[in-house]
Amino acid sequence: MNKNNNKRPHYLNPYFGGVLLGLLVIATFYITGRGLGASGAVKSTVVETVETLAPQHAESSPYYSKYIPKDTSPMNNWLVFESFGVLLGGLLSGVIYGRVKKFRVEHGAHTTSAKRLVFAVLGGVLFGFGSQFGRGCTSGAALVGSASFSFGGVIVLISIFGTGYAVAYFFRKLWI
Amino acid sequence: MNRNYLFLTLLMLVLAIGTFFIKKDDVYKNQIKPETLLQVITQPSRYVTTDQVAKRIIEKDPTLELIDVRLPGDFDKFTLPDAINVPLKDIFTDKGQDNLGIEDLNVVFFSNDDIIADQAWVIATRLGYKNMYVMKGGLNCWIETIINPTMPPETASEIEFEQFRFRKAASLYFTGGSTTQPVSVTKAKVKVRRKKKEKAASGGC
Amino acid sequence: MPLLIFSENCGFNSTFKILTMGPLIPNDIITGDWNFVIAILIGIAFGFILEASGFSSSRNLAGVFYGYNFVVLRVFFTAVIVAMVGLLYFDYFGWLDLSKIFILPTFLSPMILGGVIMGVGFVMGGFCPGTSFTGIAIGKTDALFFAIGLFLGIFIFGEAYPYFANFYNSGNMGNVTLTDVTGIAAPWFALGFTVIALAAFWVTAEIEKKVRKNMKEYKF
Repeated sequence: MNKNNNKRPHYLNPYFGGVLLGLLVIATFYITGRGLGASGAVKSTVVETVETLAPQHAESSPYYSKYIPKDTSPMNNWLVFESFGVLLGGLLSGVIYGRVKKFRVEHGAHTTSAKRLVFAVLGGVLFGFGSQFGRGCTSGAALVGSASFSFGGVIVLISIFGTGYAVAYFFRKLWI
Repeated sequence: MNRNYLFLTLLMLVLAIGTFFIKKDDVYKNQIKPETLLQVITQPSRYVTTDQVAKRIIEKDPTLELIDVRLPGDFDKFTLPDAINVPLKDIFTDKGQDNLGIEDLNVVFFSNDDIIADQAWVIATRLGYKNMYVMKGGLNCWIETIINPTMPPETASEIEFEQFRFRKAASLYFTGGSTTQPVSVTKAKVKVRRKKKEKAASGGC
Repeated sequence: MPLLIFSENCGFNSTFKILTMGPLIPNDIITGDWNFVIAILIGIAFGFILEASGFSSSRNLAGVFYGYNFVVLRVFFTAVIVAMVGLLYFDYFGWLDLSKIFILPTFLSPMILGGVIMGVGFVMGGFCPGTSFTGIAIGKTDALFFAIGLFLGIFIFGEAYPYFANFYNSGNMGNVTLTDVTGIAAPWFALGFTVIALAAFWVTAEIEKKVRKNMKEYKF
């Protein structure tokens, strides 16, 4: 990707990062009794948007209505605040390690930025859609679910990564 | 680098294997389900009569364990022979439960009536202890039937007279009266009903 | 035998009472007003760890499927086994009441389908929701587009929901754990995951070396 030589980005040792993440999961359970997540915040954003733009539709919808609390905004929700924290934490790390730069697209050597962006959106659409069936994403369902010995968590974990490996071949040009 | 990773690998394995050996000090492991408790509570089979208790005491039944669930003050004043004092509130402690889980021992709770004893029974049964019983009528009934039995009326059945004879003899036994008649319990034909049959214990007050 | 030793030594559990028993908020040891402050702090820690491990880069993330970068496997799997083993120890020391924590409910068929769709989305998009947030934070346009896609995907789901509401709610097994379903005790799973993870770490280290040798243009 960048052939002009930026020095190699400095990353934490992945096992160390994993230990930290594992400890964070335990700490989150210890403090809140639940795990962390991410897709839930996007869902709250969707519900909030639909509710703002078309309240009747939101309230009569069998799906959105479940997530509209009576006296407050759908965004007034633990996961939304936590995800905002994720943004901040990512920014903090990016600043410390010098990775915050102007907007750029990452892609494999054999593809273009444009193609990559198209697939990014499509991938996001699929992922968002699937995350509702899965009751979570890799963070909330797979990681936290498995860590807490939830059967569903392990199912989601295996399904995501198993499928990823199964279809990787078809998208290889995006990456390598 | 490799050496460190090797060490970490082993450490993680040891910790994971360690999870097999950590068990909680779990007295509550054998708790029975609420539905089971509800079912068992409605069976009258937990009650034993004062006659049955008296017989066991006289026969020196080694499987009998009497537990007086009243306060120590009452226990000191009067209690059944060889009874242990475990006040109701102590049933919740480890020490109080020391006497409960012993194999083959039949525990009979008693109090002045049987209300407190019943409560003890519920707690112990919920915790999963088996062979718990309650003496129906408690010490009040004990006094009325065993210590001061009343002569049944003329019209009473032979069984009731037999029961009275037994009780009279038992009364002498327990109050240390002189025995002009040999206390011969083997003649008493009062049948001791086995607890396995779910019938209410008869006799008592 | 260990059970006997520990239960006779009455003081054993109390000597480990370094932490008050959790979970703290459900037990009212911390009031609910702190909830959102704690949420942000936990999020910051999460985002930091993700970004610092390189999860803000879609190429790094996708690498697990092609063998040129196993960072996802390493971080993720390590986190799972550390958390599994850690939760069991926390329960033992009386720091966390495992019966009070939230266990993700299992909806068998929908979750499998959801996982499959997410798997495709992951390879196509190169992100998952949490990592896309960190990507946005450092200026990755593809992360931003992925997040927009997430929004659209959930919206489409919400609109189309009536068509598959029945399926969505099917297969509800409740908040079951692995132990509930298989009857095998938790330590076996902790050990099993640990052994598989550790083996995978060693094997993939070799695979990665080989794959990278063949990828001349592999750069961060």
